Amino acid sequence: MSGFNRRNFLQTTGAFALAAAHGGAFPGIANAARTDELNIYCWEGYNSDDVLDPFRRETGAKVRAEGLTSDPDAVNRLRAGETKVWDLINLNNPWAREMMWPEGLIKELDRDRFDPMFNDMMPAFHAPYEWAMDKTGEHLLGMTQRFGPFNFVVNTDKISRAMGEDQGFNIFLDPAMKGKYGILTYDNWNIYHMCVTAGVDPFKSHSKAEIDAYAKVCKQIFNGAKLLTDDLVAMNLALINGEIDAYFTGGTYTASPARFDGSKQVRGITPKSGPMNGKGGIVWIELTSLVNNPNPSTIAEDFLAYVQRPEVSKKVAFAEGTYNPVTQMGSKEVMAQFNKDELDAIQWDTLEEEMSNSTDYDINPDYAEMYDIYSAAKRERES
Amino acid sequence: MIRWLMQPGVRAAVPISILLLLGFIGPLLMVTGYSFMPPRTFSLTGTPTLANFISIISDSYYISFLWSVGLAAITVLILLVICYPVSYGMAKMFGPWANLVTMIIAVPLLVSENIRLFGWVLFLLKNGIADGSLQYLFGIHLPSILYKVPAIILGLVYVYLPFMLFPLVIGLSMVPNAVKEAAFDLGASRFQVFREIEVPLAMPGILIGSLLVFVLALGSLAESKILGGQAVIMIADDIESAFTFAQNWPKGAMLSLLLISSSGCLIFFLFKRIDLDRIIGRR
Amino acid sequence: MSSEISEPVLQLRNIVKKFGDFTAVDDINLDIGDGEFFTIVGPSGSGKTTMIRMLVGMDRPSSGDIILRGQRINDVPANKRPTCMVFQSLALFPHKTVGENIEFPMKIAGVEPGKRRERADELLAQLRLPLAYYSKGVNQCSGGERQRIALARALAYDPDILFFDEPLSSLDFRLRKTLEKELKDIHRETKKTFVYITHSLEEAMVMSDRIGIMNAGEMIQVGTPAEIYDAPRNKFVGEFMGEVNTIEVERVSEKHVRSLSDGTEFTVAREPDNFERGYLIIRPEIVKIGRPAEDLPNRVHGTVFNDYSLGSRIQYQIRSKSDQYQWLVERLQDEPYEGKLDDEVYIGWQSEDAILVSD
Repeated sequence: MSGFNRRNFLQTTGAFALAAAHGGAFPGIANAARTDELNIYCWEGYNSDDVLDPFRRETGAKVRAEGLTSDPDAVNRLRAGETKVWDLINLNNPWAREMMWPEGLIKELDRDRFDPMFNDMMPAFHAPYEWAMDKTGEHLLGMTQRFGPFNFVVNTDKISRAMGEDQGFNIFLDPAMKGKYGILTYDNWNIYHMCVTAGVDPFKSHSKAEIDAYAKVCKQIFNGAKLLTDDLVAMNLALINGEIDAYFTGGTYTASPARFDGSKQVRGITPKSGPMNGKGGIVWIELTSLVNNPNPSTIAEDFLAYVQRPEVSKKVAFAEGTYNPVTQMGSKEVMAQFNKDELDAIQWDTLEEEMSNSTDYDINPDYAEMYDIYSAAKRERES
Repeated sequence: MIRWLMQPGVRAAVPISILLLLGFIGPLLMVTGYSFMPPRTFSLTGTPTLANFISIISDSYYISFLWSVGLAAITVLILLVICYPVSYGMAKMFGPWANLVTMIIAVPLLVSENIRLFGWVLFLLKNGIADGSLQYLFGIHLPSILYKVPAIILGLVYVYLPFMLFPLVIGLSMVPNAVKEAAFDLGASRFQVFREIEVPLAMPGILIGSLLVFVLALGSLAESKILGGQAVIMIADDIESAFTFAQNWPKGAMLSLLLISSSGCLIFFLFKRIDLDRIIGRR
Repeated sequence: MSSEISEPVLQLRNIVKKFGDFTAVDDINLDIGDGEFFTIVGPSGSGKTTMIRMLVGMDRPSSGDIILRGQRINDVPANKRPTCMVFQSLALFPHKTVGENIEFPMKIAGVEPGKRRERADELLAQLRLPLAYYSKGVNQCSGGERQRIALARALAYDPDILFFDEPLSSLDFRLRKTLEKELKDIHRETKKTFVYITHSLEEAMVMSDRIGIMNAGEMIQVGTPAEIYDAPRNKFVGEFMGEVNTIEVERVSEKHVRSLSDGTEFTVAREPDNFERGYLIIRPEIVKIGRPAEDLPNRVHGTVFNDYSLGSRIQYQIRSKSDQYQWLVERLQDEPYEGKLDDEVYIGWQSEDAILVSD
């Protein structure tokens, strides 16, 4: 999953202290024998014991996994010297290709071993998969697994799926929706979606006029919101109880826990059209890469192969708190792991259609400037 | 110098001093250092600059500061009014029952603040416990305060109540009954006893409670996030965003520095003006 | 000094105070005269503190009337009564200076600051406190000085009656003796009514015009110090006054009684009405020892067990031959007596010096 989805200030502050110490920590780990241990830095899910324990039993290795709180934070930690610490890193799609590979923070995978695995995935991910390759198309940079469209979520008892898909983010600008929606404060996603709402493609350099249009939408969306929270459980609760009819920024990742609990009216919506080469939705894909550790663990690649197994893929998809589709669902053996309720929770019925209406998550070159506009609009919100 | 170092008191203070230095002064120095680094950098080796300070004062951060200060002040006032009578009862009247009251108030502290606040959300939510019960019992539907400023104040008052109550109990139990009776006997009305005797003598407790609550509420985040739906953005929220989503540590550090130094100044000012020694009667 | 009082300022009529089932003050009637120094004496638990709290207005009687200059004041709270109290703990205001403490009642009464200051200086002088103490913190003052400040503060209230709740009990012996006399001097200077409570009869004797002795919530005896000394009403009062010899006796015939322990007969000068059985109280200082005792009408034969020096006097413990009663006998140092420890001696007294009480 992507964005700063967990409010975990302490953890971030911990990272701050650690980075400031310039990676001087964990000297013991760096110099220890590396055949029987593995350190994974990942979005929550891969760090669950359900996923790790079978691997620990098979290899007898000491496997340590730490949940991360933000993509850029994690990259910062690698930059600050933690490549000595970690063996695997699990981030959203753009980082490997755009930042970590050019900066030498990650290593390539053995294509002979891993390319065939891509061909067992859903058709869109067959080798060579763009986000898994470097820009020359020669080197394989990581394996995909979890992914999902991420746009907005509605209560279909109030707003139909068809209406949401047709109107897209414009429903949040409708005066009739004022005070009837929430904003899930995954701030980086909101910035992208506010661009989309303003009719601007977020993943390119922006003109002054485009930034002004974005700023205007920012203010309007904040001023019309009933509540802001970064807690997806609280947000779903507000949606189910009728405090709000929709929330800005959300998708399978946030809707699936409520759907799995039986609240099927909670549904992630992907707009049918928008400013990104005609597309209105954004999808995130996680990529797990080998960290360029000077003293690498010998079992890191084995772990990447291990998580491709059908039963492990299922455990990753339904790990903790949130549930997500996995690219391995292209294979029959993996599909056989899921029952009807689970497939319904992750909106399997419309997933293909939503994917075809979405563009892939990327890097916004004007993020810093847009963030300042965003945070000012949030602060100056009329409540 | 050597002899000073060899004193048992000095030697005994060494471990705690090192701990304080590492755990308290160290981070403070780091925050200070970062707040003068160029924006959006991640090391302490840049050329010092006031850019963060300038960008903060030229932006609308004063709104978050004012909300935080205002809500903290309101919380202190409300808690003084609520806690004074309760702590009076606990200090002077409840006798053995005071322990029970202490338990009832202290036990929730064992539960995480976020969980307790989320409980309030369930209570206040539309069709939630309060609204649902009222509808079922009386068929009435009241406008909800959830996701509005009053809900934030409710949360702050609820969460920080013990921090006001217990210092007040201690403050009020420091007021000897005989002294109040003497004032009453010398002709003072109940209100004059309260103003001339009780409040001045309980002032250490009142001050400590108020300061604790004010400083905690000033740095609070969860109440506005969970109960307030961020109807207002607290300064702590801005600080968190700067460190996380904005990836602008120097700005976050400068905001923290401004918050820490303003509460520091307030405490310094209060303790300068109000002579605790004199109140307690040591002089 | 006489037990008759001219004009009562404070009258208590059938005062009862109950705490649940416990009766702390049981049906007390008492008149206190204008300008009198009246002391209530009793052991701890006798009800004297409960009593004074009702008189000051901190507590209300369960029944009965408190009458001040003809007005019933049961329901008047302490701050509306023209009386005030010096507390056992003194209850000085620790956050105020000596001057602010003294001026407090005047400030409450709305006296203007200049007049307050003038009066405070007067009171400091009257109580022999340096004027510079005006701006001193009360906690910087010594125990004796704090006593005087508390008294000055009470006098600043200008009360009709000034109550004292054992204010001297925490002081050392010598300072207490000094302050007892000073208090009596101030009583003479101010001519106010003082009502003092204490557990020390000795303290009461030094200062008081009249004394009321309380025990178990009842007022046992009221009178001048001399009356109480000469004629304690019962065994409790007799023993409360200090070390005495008490012999349990029964009546034999008019003015003749017999000890219940060994049957020795004694004569008395007076007997209470309808006397059947009771106690003979003989104070140590009226008992003669050795040769002077041999001609006296009441005599006991015993052994000198021990002697104790009491400054100007010597006290002996004499063990009676017949019942081993431990008699206390005192004589002045310069009175001739040649006896030694373990000598067998007679002790004796005049009939009119012994006091016979019923209970």
